[in-house]
Amino acid sequence: MLLASGTCGYGQEYADLIPLDEIGGLVTKAVSLEPRPGNPPHRVAETPGGMINAIGLENPGLHGFIAEKLPWLREHLSRAQVFVNVVGHSAEDFAAVVSGLDGEDGFLGYEINVSCPNVKGGTMFGTDERALADLVARLRGCTERPLVIKLTPNVPDVGDFARICEEAGADGLSAINTFPGMVVDISRREPLIGNRSGGVSGPAILPMGVYATWRARQTCGLPIMGIGGIRNAEDALQYVLAGACLVQIGTASFVDPGAAVAVHEGLSEYMQANGVARLEDLVGALQSRPGRGPAIPAG
Amino acid sequence: MLSAGGGVAVERAAPVSRRATLLSTRFVARDTWWQEFDCPDIAAASLPGQFVMLGVGLDEPGAWLLPRPFSVGWTGPGGEVGILLRAYGQGTRALAKLEVGQTALLLGPLGRPFDTEGADVECVAGGVGLAPFIFLAAREAAAGRRVRLIYGERDAGAVFDPVLIASLTDHDPELFTEDGSAGRKGLVTAGLDPASSALLLGCGPTPLLRALAAFAREHGRRLQVSVEEHMGCGIGTCQGCVVRGADGRWVKACIEGSVFPAEELDWGAI
Repeated sequence: MLLASGTCGYGQEYADLIPLDEIGGLVTKAVSLEPRPGNPPHRVAETPGGMINAIGLENPGLHGFIAEKLPWLREHLSRAQVFVNVVGHSAEDFAAVVSGLDGEDGFLGYEINVSCPNVKGGTMFGTDERALADLVARLRGCTERPLVIKLTPNVPDVGDFARICEEAGADGLSAINTFPGMVVDISRREPLIGNRSGGVSGPAILPMGVYATWRARQTCGLPIMGIGGIRNAEDALQYVLAGACLVQIGTASFVDPGAAVAVHEGLSEYMQANGVARLEDLVGALQSRPGRGPAIPAG
Repeated sequence: MLSAGGGVAVERAAPVSRRATLLSTRFVARDTWWQEFDCPDIAAASLPGQFVMLGVGLDEPGAWLLPRPFSVGWTGPGGEVGILLRAYGQGTRALAKLEVGQTALLLGPLGRPFDTEGADVECVAGGVGLAPFIFLAAREAAAGRRVRLIYGERDAGAVFDPVLIASLTDHDPELFTEDGSAGRKGLVTAGLDPASSALLLGCGPTPLLRALAAFAREHGRRLQVSVEEHMGCGIGTCQGCVVRGADGRWVKACIEGSVFPAEELDWGAI
């Protein structure tokens, strides 16, 4: 289990609150080539069953990350696995960040963010089959570390994009990033969020994330990290049964900093109670319903 | 360690997350409750100006509520943490309905506290911006010191019970209401004394903080303000609660504030 990108900073913020080394690991806040200031406020708001955010990928940039954030991760975590979330305006940006980080210690691999809805062009790679294939192939040439692509749900069929990632050399997938949304402040008659629109996360998107995981599992053989709306072990098990071999805990950590620990414990209890020796035995173990024909995408 | 006054740095404890029992809840003004939670370690570590994130957690089936930030309003000798809760929207209404014996999740203490450095202090509160000054005045009274406590509300119905304020703080606030239905008529800023040289502390709606910043600039007064912005996590991870700093940077209200010396903020953008 991992703490999801954008909800755990660079690890240090949670160090006093949860035993990071015991839950699995974390995915850092996005790192771009140059520092980014982020969007104007309001940046976050609660929504029915979730929240909306438009932070704008505020981050210290590649060199700031190496100088200010990576040393803490290297020195304070021993068992926790760290993925660095990478974002860029162009394929060159992505490649420069991955190449610039690849000689450093303190992390395991990359989660490539081709799916952020809150910056101009943020989902360009994630919604364009050719651009995505080219980007993944290019990054594959930059590193031998695990290369995980974080998919956007804003495509006709996530399964197609999952397969493209596999064919281009990715090692894994994260399914799914936030959904674009908007909240209107009716008293001011203007968008509540400073960026006007933002990404919706939280329990409201749980079924969409589970579906995306299931579609990706059907079209490719890559390991999938399930993400979107997980609050407890039952939610996590939905992702696992749909095909995720890992899960990420995101917005729930804001509601309860101990959410990831509780999910971890809940999974152990479930396995004991149900005689499951290894969680891997449940991955993709969804029973198909008889007489329903082949699975087709919704819509 | 950050210092809000440019003087001696204020040591802060690491935050903890605790499921705490509601010991008492008291309806104190229109839409406003005074709640006390049993939370000894947050009570012991909190400093005036710091806040807690208060929520119901994830245990309730179907429950979904991001925690909301509340100034620590008081800490009791038995480990009580008092907060002043005004129900504005869905989240605060849900928290207001908590009953004695039920539990909530408290994360804290959080943020940068006021740094009063033993100075003479004038606290200027608008609405539930009173909360941190109840805590501060009580602390100061316990140390044998006095602060000036100026408190404004829209009308008498919104005024937090003065008897309870006095019992918690051993101070009698100077009360202003906009319509004159309680205390003196006018905005709370009418209580400011241009001739004073005391350290000004402000907490309340943004227009009040702006007015205080203008007053402080005009009269060469030192001012610290507690700001609020929509907050997701309270610990700096979501980067949601930014305000514009004087240097043009977005600064995070949760960990770089919520108390800022006025000169650290861009008042043209707040």
